[in-house]
Amino acid sequence: MLILQLLVSGIETGALYALTAAGFALIFGATRIFHFAHGATYALAGYAFVLATRLGWAWPAGVLLALVVAIAFGLLLEAAVYRPIQRHHGAFFTVFVAAFGVVIVVQSLIELSFGRAYIAISSPLTRAHEVLPGLYVARVFWLALATAGVIFAVLGGFLARTRAGIGLRALAENPDLLRAFGLSARRLSALAFALGSALAVPGAVLGAMTTGLSPGVGAHVMLISLAASVMGGIGSLRGAALAGLLLGIVENLVVAGLDTQWSEAAGFVALFAFILFRPRGIFGAALVR
Amino acid sequence: MIGGKSMVTRRSWLGGAAGLAAGALMAPSRLRAEDAYILGTLFPMAGPNAEYGTIFTAGAAMALKHVAADKMLSRPLVLRAEDSEGTPQGGAVGMSKLVNVDRAVYVLIGFTGVSKAAAPIGARAKVVLVNGGGVGPDLAGLSPYYWNVIPLVPDEIKVLVPFLMARKLRRIALIYVNDPFGNGLLKSLKGDLTAAGGEIVAADAIAPTDQQFSAIAARIRTLSPDAVYFASYGAQQAEIIKQLRDAGISQQLLTYSGATIPSVRNLPEAEGLILTNQAADWSVDDPITKRFVADWRAAYHTDPTTYNQNYYNAVRLFALLAQQLEKSGKPINGDNLRAALLATRRFPLVGGEGVFDDLCDISMKIVINRYQDGKLVPIG
Repeated sequence: MLILQLLVSGIETGALYALTAAGFALIFGATRIFHFAHGATYALAGYAFVLATRLGWAWPAGVLLALVVAIAFGLLLEAAVYRPIQRHHGAFFTVFVAAFGVVIVVQSLIELSFGRAYIAISSPLTRAHEVLPGLYVARVFWLALATAGVIFAVLGGFLARTRAGIGLRALAENPDLLRAFGLSARRLSALAFALGSALAVPGAVLGAMTTGLSPGVGAHVMLISLAASVMGGIGSLRGAALAGLLLGIVENLVVAGLDTQWSEAAGFVALFAFILFRPRGIFGAALVR
Repeated sequence: MIGGKSMVTRRSWLGGAAGLAAGALMAPSRLRAEDAYILGTLFPMAGPNAEYGTIFTAGAAMALKHVAADKMLSRPLVLRAEDSEGTPQGGAVGMSKLVNVDRAVYVLIGFTGVSKAAAPIGARAKVVLVNGGGVGPDLAGLSPYYWNVIPLVPDEIKVLVPFLMARKLRRIALIYVNDPFGNGLLKSLKGDLTAAGGEIVAADAIAPTDQQFSAIAARIRTLSPDAVYFASYGAQQAEIIKQLRDAGISQQLLTYSGATIPSVRNLPEAEGLILTNQAADWSVDDPITKRFVADWRAAYHTDPTTYNQNYYNAVRLFALLAQQLEKSGKPINGDNLRAALLATRRFPLVGGEGVFDDLCDISMKIVINRYQDGKLVPIG
């Protein structure tokens, strides 16, 4: 029963990792921008939801506020930070340092506004109940699964069947060709940031209820997103989602046989294994030089 | 050439005048820094444990105000803050700067790992370090220049274990942070619990940065312990409590004095948490405590915590010792401060008379509390 319990915990954690990692992968896949501040988007969305809760707003209004904040932040970064750097042909490292600076500024702003303490939203959704002898499941587990399932289905449909979605997929491959088809690379880049940032919201909102938030939460989120993106195949949305889910499951299952300290390390052992034996990731394409 | 000479001369005059003006402006501040007693603080000011840094500093800052208002010393007391980040590396770097650059004579410190890294640097430079927040067992007698104004965790465990046995809470699951504090606590708890007829049924070590505890909760639940003891810091404590309760762990939760911070106190899931802590009676009648509590309530509209008290006491202790040394015409340095402490031993501090032992550690009464409606209620 312990294994089953750990599997349930792992799927819940992994579903949230999958959504957040997919957001990072979508942005990187479409724009080739190493959006290190994706963790800051997660933190801002989470704190926006907390603010709404403190103001006594209903939860849908809180989720809406988190969405608005996340998307606005993503768009602002794209327009005010990344685009000017790209315009001046800034190197990958310039983008990384700029994003890293933004992360620090966001963390400091959150500390100034909400304090440095841990914040969690107490909700009956996170209280586990015994569904089978020895197996405890909280309603947030089903919510996380359903949210991830619906979002990935809708996103998959959008990317596969709409003109904008196909444009997003093509953006990374050949921006010049896009222009020939009358599509704006700039608008598509903004769309990628809006969608990718929005994908951080479910994880942030449910994370605020389950594991809680602290101003530095973005660093952990970014680490997981990055690991999932590498394991899933750089730029592959479904790869990042699957790898995020796997990371959550591995982190939890490892506790059955090893000391708990190995929990997070196990995920990164899996990452190293991928780097060594399948560097292109689960769904990544092999590069031919 | 004549014109050129004239230009150089004018520039020289202007430059010289500017230099003199700058020198005149800088001189008083340099003089002040040289004349002042430099008190260093080595607290976590950023990261997950920054909450402690804010609490510790507030206590010290109030003491500075009171020392200045009372004109206890002939020179001003100036605070120099370094961020330890709550890590040994941060502690070593910060302490080196306080000793070598700021020339601090007395440093306030917290956290076990930070203390263990900074103490050798303090011992080499003969700079006194005073701990009011770290409680690891190893902190007793860490160096002749390392003093504690807080009772250490073995004292807390000694009081807790008989309480647990009396309540038939014998099988304890432990979650502890894998650092010098956590490992020391494990040793203390295991030793005292086993001697009293109890046992540790699980000891899960966690990293200070861990955020997910649902897997640990699942494992603990299969062992059905009588109670769960956790030993961590800052924000992580609240995460542990919430995730254990969410995972259906209904057993009694236990911890140490580190949980007397707002992020734990304000957490609904922390209701009923039992923790040990130094006794703090804010209604005592001595003038020092009354002034501290009254000014604290006026400034913060809440009661102080024992951490505020400890760092207030640490600064006040320096003022009392320096006052003694000034009267006897001795220089203020680590050796003289230590000699004065050991010669006097008893000091009027917040909470009553503070008594120091041969290791320069204060002794205090420990009480067992329970969180009820967000307030600490003594229960033993």
